[in-house]
Amino acid sequence: MSLETVIRSIFSTLFLASVIRISTPIIFPAMGGLIAVVTGVPNMALEGIMNVGAFVGVMVSAYTGNVWLAILAGIVAGVLMALLLGLFHIYFKTNLFIGGLAVNLMASGGTVFLLYIMTGDKGNSASVKSLSVPNWEIPFIKDIPFLGDVISGHPVFTYLAFLSVILVYIFLYRTRFGTHLRAVGENPEAATTLGIDVKKSRMIALAISGVFAALGGMNLSMAYLQFFQKEMAAGRGWIGIAAVHLGARKPLGVLFASILFGFADAISNQLGSLNIPSQLVQTIPYITTVVALAVFAIQQRQAALERMKRYQKEHLEAISANASKAE
Amino acid sequence: MKSFFESKGFRELLRIVLAVTIGLALGFIITLFVSKDPVGAYKSFLLGPISRLNRIGDWLEESLTLILLGLVICIVFGASQWYIGVEGQMVLGAMAAGCVALYVPIPPLPRILLAFLAAMIVGALWGLIPALLKAYYNANELVTSLMMNTVALKIFEYILKAFIMTPKSRSISSELIEKPFRLPTFIPNLPFLQGIREIWMKQTSVTIMVYIVIAAVIIVYYLLYKTPFGYELRTVGLNTKFAHYGGINVKRTIIMSILVSGLVAGLAGAHLTLAIHNKIISNMTSGLGFEGINIAILAGNNPLGVPIAGLLYGYLRAGSDVMERSSDVSRELVFVIQAMVLLLVTAERLLPTIQKRVADIKENSENGTNGKPDVKNVKEGDSHVA
Repeated sequence: MSLETVIRSIFSTLFLASVIRISTPIIFPAMGGLIAVVTGVPNMALEGIMNVGAFVGVMVSAYTGNVWLAILAGIVAGVLMALLLGLFHIYFKTNLFIGGLAVNLMASGGTVFLLYIMTGDKGNSASVKSLSVPNWEIPFIKDIPFLGDVISGHPVFTYLAFLSVILVYIFLYRTRFGTHLRAVGENPEAATTLGIDVKKSRMIALAISGVFAALGGMNLSMAYLQFFQKEMAAGRGWIGIAAVHLGARKPLGVLFASILFGFADAISNQLGSLNIPSQLVQTIPYITTVVALAVFAIQQRQAALERMKRYQKEHLEAISANASKAE
Repeated sequence: MKSFFESKGFRELLRIVLAVTIGLALGFIITLFVSKDPVGAYKSFLLGPISRLNRIGDWLEESLTLILLGLVICIVFGASQWYIGVEGQMVLGAMAAGCVALYVPIPPLPRILLAFLAAMIVGALWGLIPALLKAYYNANELVTSLMMNTVALKIFEYILKAFIMTPKSRSISSELIEKPFRLPTFIPNLPFLQGIREIWMKQTSVTIMVYIVIAAVIIVYYLLYKTPFGYELRTVGLNTKFAHYGGINVKRTIIMSILVSGLVAGLAGAHLTLAIHNKIISNMTSGLGFEGINIAILAGNNPLGVPIAGLLYGYLRAGSDVMERSSDVSRELVFVIQAMVLLLVTAERLLPTIQKRVADIKENSENGTNGKPDVKNVKEGDSHVA
């Protein structure tokens, strides 16, 4: 395929639809990461929880034949993993980074361990028949020519992901409990004096992040693909954490950052059909993440410097004003 | 004797022993659920590595890699840098060492030395981007280093498939490195050691890396605890602001900590190609990326503790391989055990609290008589003031 076809296909409805679909498993962990970060407990176990969610969802759907029960089980498993991290960090004082890495290790080892027991295979769960979530054809919108092709017909999870951005915004900025969580993140001591239970708030925030990460994982194994694969999250949990930084910890910003990473992912999928080595093309999403983090960090740095200069100037002006008054 | 049992070091040791014991017990409980012959499986797991000479060799070789990885993490975590780009540095180091050993047309000794040098330099340079971003712009090094890992793995696969793989090779790998360019066995060629040397060479392939790793442990310890650089590094690790006000160049220290750790990571990569596989193969570093963290944490971030922790985890890994081959339990069980141990060892409030509480109770009962006069004095003082 020539470059021209690739470029043309990038501007097609199919590509835009694929950006939306590929962004979904980044939006979910990013939203989970956001809630955990604003509460002051950056959850570094998102990657592992995604793997667990993906695995449990597939296995329960295969054994019970009920998609909704499978989703519920996946969420419960994700919450349990997040609470394990919370228990050790908040009550037993494990370092949050190391605790997160430990949970990731447990998740990637544990899922492969159980996969081998249940299917006799260590790579994927293709041998058991698991279910996937239904797609949703949006009434009326699906008949609109361009828009219908882009927006309609995605798995239910995709709509849930975009809806969750609005829900997270309302939760964090418009509800009493969400405000409490932010207060705990800003200043735990002050929050304590106001009678907010810091430990409980942080446990709940971690549990919510577990729900989102598990949904992100199940989106991979029950919508994007129809089976579980070893290390299925493939760095998306970490990219979600990058999206939280890049989106300046605001729900809408995080959404746009996630879509940016989804876009990079989709581009790399498209370029795969060109005559470029596939391994190099596959690095695009990861390099994009590093570049985006770098640009964001540099920008933050400059903003801070400018702020400092402004204060300095104001301060000097105030001093000189005082001096002239004294004269 | 008594003072030793109440010392901090003993408490630390006890905590580690407890954590490992609980982890292994948990592993056994899991085995009970999943295996038809749990006792047999666990026996092969715990005793497998020492049951045969070649398995002891495997254990030692595995441990050497792990010890190097533990040292890497000791350095970066010592500076409180959550840098975990070891896997990327290691895999590219392995590639560099392999390329030199395979293709540079110079005699054996300089070729091997050059291979080590290349691996270490490549390892260090690969850490440069996250290091600079962290030092100058405070970009999250955990995420950037993980992303760079994946990039490194893809580049490794690309180079291997596009340039190194020969059409006739059946698996995705390079040709074998020729005999004279491999590392010699670790037992020196002396008359009275001839017998042992023969047996070891026949059954195992433990190389002179043993001595290199021992040297690396000592050098890293010396670097961290006996040099100005190490002092600066640890000060930055304890408190960045304090280090800054104390006149330490924090940026340089952060960058150097990651670069120095990269040298060791490259060395680990060279060990993979030159000593373990003797060729460049696909998925060379699978499952090793986070091993260093387990080991450094278990060793209390002290380079001198790393060999012990490395031998322990090398033993568990070798044991899990034996278990997988001889029973129905897969080797991933060891990751679950390791994760549990990691959580327990770092849980400051869990295991030592029990210990400390016991010590507190003892102290109270012993100091009971000494404590009373003090209270009296204070009370008298108070009344005096009043």
